[in-house]
Amino acid sequence: MSDAAASAVRHRAFSPARIFAITTNTLTELTRQKVFNVILIFGLLLIGSSLFMARFSFQQEFQILKDVSLGVMSILSSLLAIVATARLIPQDIEDRTIYTILAKPVPRFEYLLGKLFGVLLLLAISIALMSALFVAVLYLREQAVLNETLRQVSRPPGEQLDAALNAVRVAGLKIDILAGIAVIFFKACLLAALTLFVSTFATTNIFAIIVMVSVYFIGHLQATAREYWLEQQSAGWIAHVFLAIVALIFPDLQAFNLVDEVVAGVAIPLALFAKTALLGLFYIAIYTLAATFVFYGKEL
Amino acid sequence: MTDTAVTVEGLTKVFPVPFHRQSITAVHDLNLRVEPGEVYGLLGPNGSGKSTTLKIILGLISPTRGRTQIFGRDSSLVESREAVGFLPENPYFYKFLTGEETLRFFGKLCRLNGARLKSRVHELLKLVGLTNARHQRLGTYSKGMLQRIGLAQALINEPKLVVLDEPTAGVDPAGSRDIRNLIVDLKRRGITVLLSSHLLTQVQEICDRVGILARGVLVREGRLQELVAIENWSELVLENASEALLKEIEKLAANSNAKLIERRRSTTTLERLFLDATTDRSNK
Repeated sequence: MSDAAASAVRHRAFSPARIFAITTNTLTELTRQKVFNVILIFGLLLIGSSLFMARFSFQQEFQILKDVSLGVMSILSSLLAIVATARLIPQDIEDRTIYTILAKPVPRFEYLLGKLFGVLLLLAISIALMSALFVAVLYLREQAVLNETLRQVSRPPGEQLDAALNAVRVAGLKIDILAGIAVIFFKACLLAALTLFVSTFATTNIFAIIVMVSVYFIGHLQATAREYWLEQQSAGWIAHVFLAIVALIFPDLQAFNLVDEVVAGVAIPLALFAKTALLGLFYIAIYTLAATFVFYGKEL
Repeated sequence: MTDTAVTVEGLTKVFPVPFHRQSITAVHDLNLRVEPGEVYGLLGPNGSGKSTTLKIILGLISPTRGRTQIFGRDSSLVESREAVGFLPENPYFYKFLTGEETLRFFGKLCRLNGARLKSRVHELLKLVGLTNARHQRLGTYSKGMLQRIGLAQALINEPKLVVLDEPTAGVDPAGSRDIRNLIVDLKRRGITVLLSSHLLTQVQEICDRVGILARGVLVREGRLQELVAIENWSELVLENASEALLKEIEKLAANSNAKLIERRRSTTTLERLFLDATTDRSNK
């Protein structure tokens, strides 16, 4: 046996190190393509909306700030998940990079997992940065309003001051915002997993993006359509089966929309949060499995 | 253990054409064996089934019929690629990575890490002459440099078999010469090389055996010297031979049963002329 063969690393059917190598490479790829610029867009929108809101009362200001920030964060992270994931596999095939990777002892599911984790890491970093920016702006505005309230009510009865300060705090930064942001992250992860699945059979990234934009809209509308349909007396078992299939292909994205509750200052129940998180995990697992199934049969 | 490096038995690959009844047979009942330590050239025109055969050997596509093995292990198994390095035709790699990062990435895929990965990367950058360009992104590399970094990544896991798809296609004569020298170096180190090419004169110097594919069928196979030799012809190349000596040799030939077919001044190849001219200029 040659020295080379003697020193070769023994093969392992599953290797977190290989997945990690693909994950970090995917993150480097996306970072160097300047996808983080979306955060710049977020920052500009945030600053722009803050300037616009100076004329409102603090309750209105905080509400609009939360509404705009969380809404923009949700749209940008969904867009980032779709656009960043859609190009990964078709581009690797077009550039033949996939041949060099899969000609190494790398199982196809590890390649897919590495790519997916790379995007999820990108989404986590992007959402964390956007959240930090949003929380910082909200916190600073809340402090400014608290100081303003203290100054305006110069000689207050204690209770009146407490009530005024409490009103500011209730309208301001609350822990439920983090739960709302976590759900935005779950939705983006789900969309990334579904895009990965679509890109295993899409020949171009444009096709994958078009499919995913359609899925995005249908996913947001399907819950309303389903409720309307089921209210009809004619809705029989065929309609139920059909709706179940639609719900699997087009995820119920409305279930991941807890922004309205957060904006309204309504506490998100733990059970609802856990249910949404589990639903997200279920969808991600199903789409990743489907992607693996299709990718194993793919002729490269 | 002396397993055959590559075994291809009864290999057929049929590609269905979407929305049509007919299909395309890319490879038809192909049988070949590559022995350990040899340089085997799979030759043929474009579309003759060379790349398809290599992809099946590497498990990138599945055969319609037949089987392929690498060192006795079925190609469809991931572990068969443990001792294999592959350089595809005109590879692009990740343009956003530098030469060194590229090799580190492929090394990690082969579960190399730490000091071992570092020394292997430096060793390979030196071998392919890219040490000075190691911090440059691949987007700025020339075609020849890309081919060389491609060869380096193929060697990262110290493979026993290296598969090269059109390794010199689209590379200038100097780059092509570098790659051929590297292949000769691999052979010297006991590494088996399986390459495909349609640039016949380039592979003629380096292949021990060749197989010629035409429309997916292996039409010729054997040792290169035997295949290209003209059985009853001989060549005599002389230096500083006088006119008298040449006439004497011609007379001797005429007196025997031999027939002088051609007498000409030896010439260099256009490639050597090009290399000499461009190397001289760059050295001035």
